[in-house]
Amino acid sequence: MIATLRYEFAMQVRRPSLWIVYALVFAVLIVALPFGSLDLNDYEGSVGRQAMSVAAQILVSLLPIVYGCMLADRPSRDRVLRVDGILDATPSGRTARLIGKYAGVCAATAVPFAVAYFGRALLYAVVEGQPSALGWAALTFLASIVPGLVFLGALAFAGPLLLPPMVFRVLFVAYWFWGNLIPAAMMPTLSHTIFSATGEYVRYGIVAPPPRAASGPARRPCSTSCARSRLRSPPGCGSA
Amino acid sequence: MRIDVSGLTKTYKGGARALDGLTLTVPTGMYGLLGSNGAGKTTFMRILAGLLRPTSGRVAIGGHDMATAEGRLAVQRTLGYLPQDLGVYPDLSARRFLDYIALLKGLHSRSARRRRIGELLEVVALSDVADRRLKGFSGGMLRRVGIAQALLADPRLLIVDEPTTGLDPEERIRFRTLLAQLAGDRTVLLSTHIVDDVAQTCRSLAVLAKGRLAFQGTVGDLVSHAYHRVWTVSTPGPAPVTGRVVSALPEGTGMRYRVVAAAPPDPRARPAEPTLEDGYLALMDG
Repeated sequence: MIATLRYEFAMQVRRPSLWIVYALVFAVLIVALPFGSLDLNDYEGSVGRQAMSVAAQILVSLLPIVYGCMLADRPSRDRVLRVDGILDATPSGRTARLIGKYAGVCAATAVPFAVAYFGRALLYAVVEGQPSALGWAALTFLASIVPGLVFLGALAFAGPLLLPPMVFRVLFVAYWFWGNLIPAAMMPTLSHTIFSATGEYVRYGIVAPPPRAASGPARRPCSTSCARSRLRSPPGCGSA
Repeated sequence: MRIDVSGLTKTYKGGARALDGLTLTVPTGMYGLLGSNGAGKTTFMRILAGLLRPTSGRVAIGGHDMATAEGRLAVQRTLGYLPQDLGVYPDLSARRFLDYIALLKGLHSRSARRRRIGELLEVVALSDVADRRLKGFSGGMLRRVGIAQALLADPRLLIVDEPTTGLDPEERIRFRTLLAQLAGDRTVLLSTHIVDDVAQTCRSLAVLAKGRLAFQGTVGDLVSHAYHRVWTVSTPGPAPVTGRVVSALPEGTGMRYRVVAAAPPDPRARPAEPTLEDGYLALMDG
């Protein structure tokens, strides 16, 4: 398992397209969203932790799409490359190799994500003179972003077993916008519920509350049953 | 490492029967497995390597029952397998690819792994390009990487499926010589439809036809199937209509045909010494 983890990590992290696609989407984030300049006037409490929370919120709006899409071709790669015969003839178990592949590929695909996030945190800490922001960044990343990536990794590993990777990618992008970004006022959605993979429940709960003036993501989390009822009647429970 | 197979049957989804009650014993040493395309050789090899489960029948390798997970694991610990459609990771170098496979085969000591990989790269004459990415390798070079990975854990059983397909003549000769040298006290099972590869390397062989055992014995036994059935015919006219034409060589104004047939195919036919290929064709033609 460790060998597979190591080599799958190495092969994925050296993949040029991984860095190119992340860079393109990251550029969109910088141009279209305030990732470079964080307006923190609406926040309470520690400015550093709020800044890291908002930075995470911006990153998780689009980068998980790249994450899922770049994972989608990995589960079937051994079969496509016809390496599976050699691998299956070794005494290493299939399950161990699958776990190693999942962990290695997911970790490698998260590296550009982490570089973008911690790069921003480092910049903030240096420019604003708030080294504590690095600690808040680590907490936010581990508690709020990583669980979402773990779920998306599992989805991106299971989905292409049922669908061709290209079809899965299209559906994955649709899922991301529907299930994580679209406001509940528009249509029944998983957005801003506990089922959303953006990690905002954790972020708002343990890192920083949402900005006072914010809409959409600022809606306070309710409960699983509330989320379920929201799916049935979108306009009702959404204002909880 | 002896292989005992009895009543082996493999039926794929859709009803295609690749193996049909195959019973066979493979002794230690170099052993050839001949058969036309679709004869069931690859299915047989994949079952021996633990990649496929038979529909029925029994396979024991070195006393290990391949029907049990423990048996398959024990065999895979001593197995080197080179599949017909060999694939590699194009973004890894030959050395890194071999390192990965070595780890999967349980060679955990880094120094022992490095030493073994270095030795094998020498054996397959790839030391000079060991750190180049595999995507730049030719078919012959990839085959050599394939044989190197099969030998990593010093296997007692080596299964090679159509190893010389697509190689140029020089590579082919080098490859089969290497296999023959490796045999020694190992069991090397060479599956091929190239009769000459078996003729040059194996003493014993089996022939599969439509998933069944058509022949098992020595090379000499198979050649003897063609005794008094091989003829050469020199003629300016068309090829003989009876028997199977093995070769046709231009000769002066006519052609010289080599024919496998039960009776002289032409009044001008002369008897000829049979080869393994003649024996194989005589067997297949009944």
